This record gives sequence, C-alpha cells and structure tokens, in this order.
Amino acid sequence: MTKKGVKISLEKGLQNQIRDFFKKGLEKGVFDAVILPVRVPGKDSYAWILMNNAKLIDQANPVPPVMPVQGAKALKALTRKGNGIINVATIMRSCEIRAAIELSKLNQVNLEKITLVSYDCPGAVPMKGYNRIPEEMEKSFQNALAGKDFANDKMKEVCGICVDFANSPADLHFGFAGMENDGILFSNSDKGTAILDTLKMKCSEDDSQWKNSVNIIKEQKSKNRIEVYKSIQPEVEGLDNLQTTFAKCIGCHNCQSVCPICYCRQCYFDSSASKQTADYLQDKAKNRGGIGFPRDKIMFQVGRMAHMSLSCVSCGQCMDACPVDIPVAKIFSYVAAKTQDTFEYHAGTTADGAVPLKVYKQDELNKIHELIKNAEPQGSQHE
Amino acid sequence: MNKVIKIENGTKQGVLNFLEHLITTDKISGVLTLRKINEKGICDYGFISDAKELKFADPFAPVMPINAAQTLSSLTPTTKPIAAIIKPCELRGFVERVKRVQGSMKNVLLISYTCGGVLPLNTFQGDGSEKIIADYYNAISKGETPGSIRPTCKACEYFVPMMADITIPLLGNSESESECSLIMNSEFAIQISKEFQCEIITSELDSKIIDKVLAVRISEKEKLYNKTKVTKDGLDELVNIFGKCVGCHGCSRVCPICYCVMCDFESHNFDYNIEIFETELEQKGALRLPPDTVFFQIGRLAHMSFSCVGCGQCEDVCPANIPVATIFKKVGEATAGLFDYIPGKDLEEAIPVMIFKEEEFEEIGK
Amino acid sequence: MEKEFIPRITSFVCKWCTYTGADLAGTSRLQYPTSIILLKVLCSSRIDPVFLIKSYLKGADGVLIGGCHPGDCHYETGNYHTRRRFKILTEIFSTLGLPKERLRLSWISASEGPKFAQVSNEFTDKIENLGPNNARENMFL
Repeated sequence: MTKKGVKISLEKGLQNQIRDFFKKGLEKGVFDAVILPVRVPGKDSYAWILMNNAKLIDQANPVPPVMPVQGAKALKALTRKGNGIINVATIMRSCEIRAAIELSKLNQVNLEKITLVSYDCPGAVPMKGYNRIPEEMEKSFQNALAGKDFANDKMKEVCGICVDFANSPADLHFGFAGMENDGILFSNSDKGTAILDTLKMKCSEDDSQWKNSVNIIKEQKSKNRIEVYKSIQPEVEGLDNLQTTFAKCIGCHNCQSVCPICYCRQCYFDSSASKQTADYLQDKAKNRGGIGFPRDKIMFQVGRMAHMSLSCVSCGQCMDACPVDIPVAKIFSYVAAKTQDTFEYHAGTTADGAVPLKVYKQDELNKIHELIKNAEPQGSQHE
Repeated sequence: MNKVIKIENGTKQGVLNFLEHLITTDKISGVLTLRKINEKGICDYGFISDAKELKFADPFAPVMPINAAQTLSSLTPTTKPIAAIIKPCELRGFVERVKRVQGSMKNVLLISYTCGGVLPLNTFQGDGSEKIIADYYNAISKGETPGSIRPTCKACEYFVPMMADITIPLLGNSESESECSLIMNSEFAIQISKEFQCEIITSELDSKIIDKVLAVRISEKEKLYNKTKVTKDGLDELVNIFGKCVGCHGCSRVCPICYCVMCDFESHNFDYNIEIFETELEQKGALRLPPDTVFFQIGRLAHMSFSCVGCGQCEDVCPANIPVATIFKKVGEATAGLFDYIPGKDLEEAIPVMIFKEEEFEEIGK
Repeated sequence: MEKEFIPRITSFVCKWCTYTGADLAGTSRLQYPTSIILLKVLCSSRIDPVFLIKSYLKGADGVLIGGCHPGDCHYETGNYHTRRRFKILTEIFSTLGLPKERLRLSWISASEGPKFAQVSNEFTDKIENLGPNNARENMFL
C-alpha cells in the first residue's frame, strides 16, 4: 500500500528541514514545547533539551551523531508521573521511539500529549569512539546523513544489524535513506495527519521510491544480522561460554542503568534481597575452594534477559556504557530476537497491544506442553 | 621497629606460602585476593578457602576490577578469622565502611603493601597489556611511577597502608624477586603467624624510598589539580565537564564509600511531576531531560567527599570519560582537610559529620 | 528598560528558634525584605546539603539557614551538625569555584526578632550586590 507524504528538499540539509518543521509547529501552536538534542557547552556530547522558544531550535541538532542518553529516558523523566497541560513534540531515533512505546505499555511514559517524530536512522556512533576521535566520527555521521554512505561501519555494531531503522510507530517520519534530492515526510497516525493538515503541508509525494531504497538497505542489514547472530551464538551458548564472555564483568550494572527498558527504581540485583550474608559466602567458598566477586555475574545478565528481553529494542546503550567492553548489546539483541519471536512480538513496532507477559491466550505455546510431557517421569498418572 | 617475617622466596611466592600455611593450619577460613580467572590474564577478586586454589592468586596485580572494600564488607562480620590482601586505598575504603557499620574489622587479617598504583581497567584487559604490565613491575621495583597507571594513582600520597596488620614492601623493593618480608604491625598478626616456620627480624619500611615516591606523587598531584579548571571557572566549567554525563550513576555504584542500597538521587524524591518541568520551562525557556546532572555530582560530594579515598574507580567506569575521580579527590581533600581528617587512617577517628566540637567554625553563624 | 533585580532568597529555618524569631519580627512590625521565602523545618539539622544545592542550582539568588544558637538546640546537638555540614558545603562550593557567598547560616533565637530583620536586610543587600544567580539561566544543568 503506498502512502502519500510531503516532499522534503534535502538541498538545505535534513537538519535544517527538521528545524524548520519544529519552528513552524511551535509558531502555529501545534505543540507548546519540543524536546531536541542540543550540543553541550563542552562541545563533546549532546543533551536532550525541552524548549519552548523557537529561536533555540537553531541551536539544536535534531539528528545527533551519538546517543548519550536514550531518548525514551528523557520522555520518562518528563511524563513518568503523568500528563501535563503542554503538548510536546520530539524527534528521535527509531530505537528511542520504540523504547518509548514499550515504556508506555509498561506505564512508565505517557504519550498522550507527546508527538513522536522519527527519521531514517543511519545508526549512532559509539560513545567510546566519539570520545576518542570526535571530528572523524562527526564527519562519517554527516556523510551518512547526506545519504552518501547511509549504512557505514563507523556506527555501533547493533546499528549495523538494525532492520527497524526506518520502522517505528512514530506519528510522523522523515524518510530520506538512499534518496537523491528529495526526502519525504509522512504520517503514521491520526495525530500526525492532523498536524500536517494544520501546518498546511501537502501530501503529494508517493512513498514507493523511498520504500524501495529502504528495503534495499534493510536486506543488507538483515544479512549482516544473520552473520552477527551466527558469530555471537558460540560466545553465549552453554554456561562455560557465557562465563568466558562475562568474565571481565565488574558488576557495575551500568548496562542496566542506561537501559531504557529497565525502569525499576531499584533493580532486584542491586537490592538487599539479592545480597548474601557473610556466612553464606564463606560456606560457599569452603565447598567450592573459592568464589569470585562480583557475585552472580551470569545470574544478573540472564535474569535481566528474563525481565526485559521481550521489550529490548537493541539500541546498544548497554554496550556503550560497559567499562570493560563486553558485547552486551549484541548478546541481548540475539536473545531478544528469540524471545520476541516466541510471541511473534516485535518490541515497540506497534503502538497498540500489550507486552507479551501482560497477556496470554488459552491455546498457545503448545510446544511447551510437549516438552513438559517428555520431561515427566514415565508412568506418571497425572492427567 | 617492627617484627618482620623473612621468607626466602620472591615476594609473591612468599606471601602465598604464608597464606597457604594459614589456610592449611586452619588459622583462617579463607583469603580475599586478586586472582587470575582465565588464560587471557583477566583478574577478579576471589575468596579462596582451599590452599590448592592459591595457585591462581595474583595478589599484586596492578588492577582494581572492583574496590575490594565493597567485597570485604560483604564477607564480614565473620566469626572465624579471614585474611585479605588489598591495596592501601581499598583498605582505607574498608575502614570508612566499617565506620559506617557496613562491615567489621574483627577477625580480619588485613594484609596490604606499598602500592605502585593500578592500570585503568581497559589497559589491563586490553591488547598489548603483557608488555605494559611487565613495564609496570619493572618501574615499581625501582620505585618509579609507571606512566600507564590511573591519573589518581599517580597523584596518590597514601600508598603506604594505614591500619594494615601486615605490610609488604613492594614499591622500590629491588629484592622483591628473591625475598619476601612481611612487616607485622599488630598483635593479631603476630599471634596468627606464630607457627609459621621462618626467620624473624626487626625492621621497618625504607623511609628513603617512601620519601622519594611521596615527593613525586605530590608534584604529580599539583599537576593534576592544576589541569582541572573547576575552581577558576565555577559553574560554567562544571557544566563543561559534566555536560556529557549520561546519568548512569555508575560512579556511585562502584564507589567504596557510597554504600546506600538506594541512592537518594534515584529515589522518588527525584522523580518530578510534570508541573515542575512546566513551571521551570515557563521561567527558563529550556531545560535538560533527564535533569540534575551537575546536581547529582555536587550532592554526592556533599554526602561523601570527606571520606573519598581517591581510588579512581568512578573515573574508570565512566562511559563518558569524565574525570570524576580527580574532582572528587580534590574536593575531598578540601572537605576532609577542614577537620584534619584522613579517610581510612584510623578506625577510632569518627567521620566528621558524625561528631562535632562545641567551639569551632565560629565565623559561619555570624 | 532593564527589570529591577529583586533577589529570591530561599530560607530554611528551624521551627523552634528562627521561625518564631521571624514571627516576632512580624508581630513587632519590623521591616524585612519580601525576598526572603521561609521554609519551616523541625530542626536545622534536618536540612540535607542537597536542599541547599538544589536551591542554588534551580536559581535561588541566596540560600539562608536559620537555627538556634549553638547549645540551644531543642534536640540538644542538632545545630552543631548543621554547622559542620554547612561548612563542608561551603568548602565544596569554594573548591568548585561556585559562589559560596550566596549561602549563609545564622543563629537566630525565638526572642531575636530584630536580628532576623537585620540578617534578612543584610543578606538581601549582599545578594543585590552580587546580582542574579546565573544558574537560573543555564539549561544544561
């Protein structure tokens, strides 16, 4: 099904087009405030800034090369305790939008008064690389934005395998991947259509060309995805391999605290409930000859998978924040693909519906019944 | 002058022999030490209860995967003696935790050594670390400051352990390959090592080496402090430095002093109703989301800076490469200095905020 | 025309002494500036330094703490602790190059209505000279 969208000239640059859109929206009162990334005074990163001043938008970088704070976290900070009176619009990467959708399903974000805008995301540059060689990284990102080198290998590893870079249920979407001169702005929701109407933006452009070029990139990324999953599989299959992979873990839980989905105020694994007594630890050491610290490295990781992998959007923040360079994001992406497939769920890609653990069907997951049956001792009388 | 155990073996082997004796004769139920966990040389802290497992121990490895003060707290209180070989700053961190009733010194044989500093985690675990580590050992045996260690280690004046039951001279000890001496500082140490077959002499740390290293460290500290511009440029510079903070609070989680199960800054108190943002937006025209980046740092300074042991763990885990440790060390020195307090120096010395004098700081109430 | 600068001073005052002192200042019809915004706490030691930092970072031009005179605390020793914490905070401010002049601690007893008025006036004058707190404008905090 083809859609109609607004023609966006890329000559002035995508960033400027986006700025213009938000300025117009503020001036026409379509929204009262916007959340946009602005370069911090130290010039070495970007921060989410909520602003109601159209002049400030000129300072903003709607599409920053890095993702220091996951956008969903910014939305959570604003709306965790409910709606206000202001209508807010924001532009974010696909994974940030998807995380926000997941959080709204988990009642941690209220999207009622938020207009979500997304764009074809070329990926984000890893923070570590950006800290080391900012100019070079900035340049390769700008190239990607200009369409020359849309999917380049300077981005985070999980960005290289992201097939949802142009797929999110945002109200509005800027499409430009692989397009020559013109991009397209189209709406995904009634809210989006209403905004385009108010701003008197005419939907005349057909989106089939954009769709085609997105599909080409998507295909390449799907291939990469299979490769990366293949390469990560031996690293995490079996307890021994898991232990080797997470051997370096120092238990700082940075991965959890930067994760947009992990919204618990206090992670179970940081709580006193998960702490063991001195006597217990010493007994354990006696039985095994020795125990290592931090305790429960694998339990933490696998536990976190059990708690949140169904909503994992593979944004790669965990890997960015890991001080010891464990490929956390690749592992979580790999596991999440499997757990989400079980329920034919694709985190954050649809705005309605519930997270799989909140609902159930009476007749589902029949394979599990077979497994249970096979595992039961023979001659079991239980029917 | 103290009693010193002499062991005819390299320092590392000597210490391991001593520990083996303590474990096999059931003097201690185990020892907390750094150990190698795989052939890549990755280290973690292990609590070893079986003498056979001691072959993996690498007590002097120049790395701090976690600050052992946290680990040691979780292993105490203990009814049976345990031993721990930890770095001087970890020991000070532990003492600070004990003052906060997060652990107990009772029945813990604290072994520490004159410390040459640790490598940043990434250097230690990264490619080409073998050479860097070899260079490190070479440098410290000559009493030099290796170039690859953490910035805060280069600037650390407290490399001689305080409160240790046993001190091992390592820094500037050119004979550490051939002999091992354990300086006994407490009655507990002497009692527990009574049955150990060895030569006993009286001696103490070589003050010439200590003074030499101290002079270098102090000058490095001045350099490090001068490099941060916080004092001069005030709030603007703070925003420059902490502007890129991602708010992961990793710095507080790895901090040996920050023991709160839930930090105030992660609590409900810091979740704001949207009305608060709306009012602020009305006034300022723009605000940061999530908020409280600089606030968190100054708040943490107010809560714990006077106990900061300058271990540098916060800086090591920071995903945004912010020089957290330098700033905390600098501020910590100033706040602790108000009370002539040296964190972790003496268990009997109370934390400055827990006590007061009736006559002090008269000027501030005027 | 430039707007006249009216300082905003957040004041945390203890219920037993300074708040009562402020009350006395009011009933005695003593003049003190409207810039002082009073927040009552049970004891000055209830004031976590975090409150003061927050006041400063959110744009208060001055932060005032009022408590009982040393030795007069209704909880015996609360204000001695306040004094230490306050000293620590000012030391942090001066090490970080932040304006510690914007922080002030005063001992004002229940009978010292005039002192309350005097401190308020003095501190307001001082803040007027310092000018507005630039943290109020900073959007990156």
